[in-house]
Amino acid sequence: MSATVIRPDRNFKYWIIAPAVFLLLAVGLFPLIYSLIVSFMRIDMMDTDTSFAGLYNYKQLFRDARLWQSLLHTLIITAIALPLELILGLAMAYLFLEKMPGRQIFVSLLVLPTIISPIVAGATWRLLLDNQYGPINQILGWFAGERVNLLWTISPTLVYPAIIFCEIWQWTPFMFLILLAALSNVDKSQTEAAEIDGASFWRSFRYIVLPAIWPVMAIAILIRGLDLFRIFDIIWALTMGGPGTMTETISVYTYNQGFKQFETSYTAAIAFLIIAMLTIIVTWAIRRMGLAK
Amino acid sequence: MSATRRSPGMRLAFRYLAAALITVVFVFPVYWLFIISFKTPDEIFAFPPVWYPKSLQLANYHVLFKDGDAATVGNSLILASVSTFFAMILGTIAAYSLVRFKTGGENLAVWIISQRMMPPVAIVFPLFLAYVFIGWVDSYVGLIVLYTAFSLPYVIWMMRGYIEDIPLELEESALVDGCSRWEVLWKVVFPMARAGLFATAVFTFVFAWNEFLFALVLTRTEVTTYTVQVTHYFGGQSNFWAKIAAMSVLGTIPVFFTVAVMQRFLVRGISMGAVKG
Amino acid sequence: MSDLKISNLHKHYGSFHAVKGIDLEVPSGEFTVLVGPSGCGKSTLLRTIAGLEDSSSGTVEIAGRDVTWARPRDRDIAMVFQNYALYPYLNVKDNIAFGLRARKFAEAEVEKRVSRAAGMLGIGHLLKRFPRELSGGQRQRVAIGRAIVRDAVLYLFDEPLSNLDAQLRDDMRVEIKRLHQELGRTMVYVTHDQIEAMTLADRIVLLRDGLIEQQGSPLDLFERPKTRFVAGFLGSPKMNFIPATATETGVALNDGTRLDMPGRSGMKTGQAVVLGLRPQYIAMAGQSLAKGHARVPVTIELVQPTGSRVQATMPLGGASIIAELAAHDVSRPGERTEIDIDMTRAVIIDPKSEQVI
Repeated sequence: MSATVIRPDRNFKYWIIAPAVFLLLAVGLFPLIYSLIVSFMRIDMMDTDTSFAGLYNYKQLFRDARLWQSLLHTLIITAIALPLELILGLAMAYLFLEKMPGRQIFVSLLVLPTIISPIVAGATWRLLLDNQYGPINQILGWFAGERVNLLWTISPTLVYPAIIFCEIWQWTPFMFLILLAALSNVDKSQTEAAEIDGASFWRSFRYIVLPAIWPVMAIAILIRGLDLFRIFDIIWALTMGGPGTMTETISVYTYNQGFKQFETSYTAAIAFLIIAMLTIIVTWAIRRMGLAK
Repeated sequence: MSATRRSPGMRLAFRYLAAALITVVFVFPVYWLFIISFKTPDEIFAFPPVWYPKSLQLANYHVLFKDGDAATVGNSLILASVSTFFAMILGTIAAYSLVRFKTGGENLAVWIISQRMMPPVAIVFPLFLAYVFIGWVDSYVGLIVLYTAFSLPYVIWMMRGYIEDIPLELEESALVDGCSRWEVLWKVVFPMARAGLFATAVFTFVFAWNEFLFALVLTRTEVTTYTVQVTHYFGGQSNFWAKIAAMSVLGTIPVFFTVAVMQRFLVRGISMGAVKG
Repeated sequence: MSDLKISNLHKHYGSFHAVKGIDLEVPSGEFTVLVGPSGCGKSTLLRTIAGLEDSSSGTVEIAGRDVTWARPRDRDIAMVFQNYALYPYLNVKDNIAFGLRARKFAEAEVEKRVSRAAGMLGIGHLLKRFPRELSGGQRQRVAIGRAIVRDAVLYLFDEPLSNLDAQLRDDMRVEIKRLHQELGRTMVYVTHDQIEAMTLADRIVLLRDGLIEQQGSPLDLFERPKTRFVAGFLGSPKMNFIPATATETGVALNDGTRLDMPGRSGMKTGQAVVLGLRPQYIAMAGQSLAKGHARVPVTIELVQPTGSRVQATMPLGGASIIAELAAHDVSRPGERTEIDIDMTRAVIIDPKSEQVI
């Protein structure tokens, strides 16, 4: 047998994956390389200086209070919204776990917020939270017994609750749906055996249910955590980062630097910082949770 | 263990009450959005708020169609459906390569899924400059390429699961029977995975349909999507409430319909296959 | 002329050496069965013939053409798979026609061939049905129909009957045998079931650990096994193996029982051997007048009726042996009786090399 025999279909597997990999490289790797190069220059609206500026932009990152504040805002929203979505979603999943007539109708209705565009969700809550004509203040007024005039999207003390309400409203159903499916897959004989053995609800949850649903829960937390980290649309629709820069998240800040200030090089450095942070977190999370399997 | 055990009837009644309450809370904002879109300006700016309008008048929609704003829904439709089409084809054959030939091993699969985590804001600026350079800003092709690429990790990830469920024998039988590798794809893999293709396509479509940031940055006037159009009505003090609501509803109804049809694939779709539903 | 010729074929999966150098030639029109325990490499060998696996080294020739690196579709073969491999989204007719259409046959020709194949298999009335509406046996017929509808040089069967229940398996075996006789095509059939191998094969190729242990006609392998493995693998119930010592006239068992062997040859007196006795060649004393029998007293321990025959377990020479006896010859366990052993059919094995002497 000669060594030059060419197996006809040998490259087929590369041909069919090539377009996808090429596209992913084009939108994934190109911006990365671009950001890396440009972040070592000093290009902004005024100046197109393409000479090597060393770590200038990266040093700037550390002095940029607004950047770290935006990161803090992002983390605050994530730290409050994510656990709440998880707990509420879990509670709702338990409520609907047992079969009851009409359950499917409830579930179908509850899914609606999740499939709406985040921009529309933000716009909807903008309408709901209007201080004068919005129904939320009106309803609060019934409880308070007097007219309520809360400036939800303007008042510094209320903007975060406003954003988090909207966020929770939109994404709790997402958690609910996934956890309901996960709970339905838990082996019932195990929880029943625990109940017969006299285990409390919490014990049975902690030692039987939680380990069983954890793989699914971990993925849900990862997906939501990453979405929250890059939260943009809801903020844009509700507050645009305001008042001032009070609710400016990392995504909103990066957008402003790039498209309002035209700090090309500096934006590139921020982008690179975000990608680096996310890469570390995601790699760690994927390894940790065995997601690759 | 609870000391007081309610009777089954009471328990069910309690569960219905809780279910109804929760559902009202979650559905009310959607209701409000829809109802505003049918209100007259007087009803919108009434105090106390009008909980349900006297009549469902369509003037707000009429304005959107008359001014041509409703065409943005058409733009969204073109972008979302064309990009979904390409993402499904390219993603499925790539997933097939990963599953059947273990192309690139585990590393390539992990790299592809990690692209799902890519923050749009970190790449949109370089892409914007590149698009300016090649003249793709405010063009269909620009956003279609971008949406296709952004959907690929999801499509590949989902289709991987569906393709794994196809018995290898079916493909081998086709190979022996005279099919080329490509024919095996069209004649066996795609028909076998069609339920998965359908379900995945719906979510890919919804993603592109609902997308905002790329559309905001990369469109101007020609291919504005409905999400961008909605934000055009935001103004400091003078929000065009009726337009916001009507535009949002126009953009939301198609999604509601698609997802309603796909109920049984919902969970597997949004959990990225973590739960096989 | 041979339709299939395999030369020095090797297959590695990483560090696992699945096929370790196989040479095989299958004459035209012959029904060859590859048989062996699981993991012996028989399926790998078949899949390499089909081109579904690459060979690591060696060559495969089909109809005199080297196809070692050819695609499956260029090998002129048809194959029946273990799990039927029917396309659930196509009806029976389209399933059978799949291969013809893939090869761009004219629709009239497709029509003609499908109805002929369906007729041969008795599934003409099922053509409009979908696989999910068929029973296991019907699905198997469709799978076979899809293979025979084509004019292939070589027909491959990969354990096609292993998913069927016992009764159906017997029926389908007959069917396949009949098809082979009608079509006269070259067929290679893989199974782990030695009864299938015995009943179907013109020639059995018995594989073990990636090598051919022995090949030949079923009767050849049954009566003249070359190794202990072959002797033990074929036949049901299994051959009895009893440790013994060679004597001048035959063998002596460990309890001192001496069995004379007519035509004894090859053994050195005093050598330790293993005596192989087929259960079928043991009978109750006095049933046969043929020469060469050894008469031994035994106590029957266990009786398993199988209908007209019984399988009786009894101790002999320190081992427990099974004899297949006529049903009415044995009454109950504990019975003391005498048996005749047909020593002309006995097999003597060298325990060290495991070769038959």
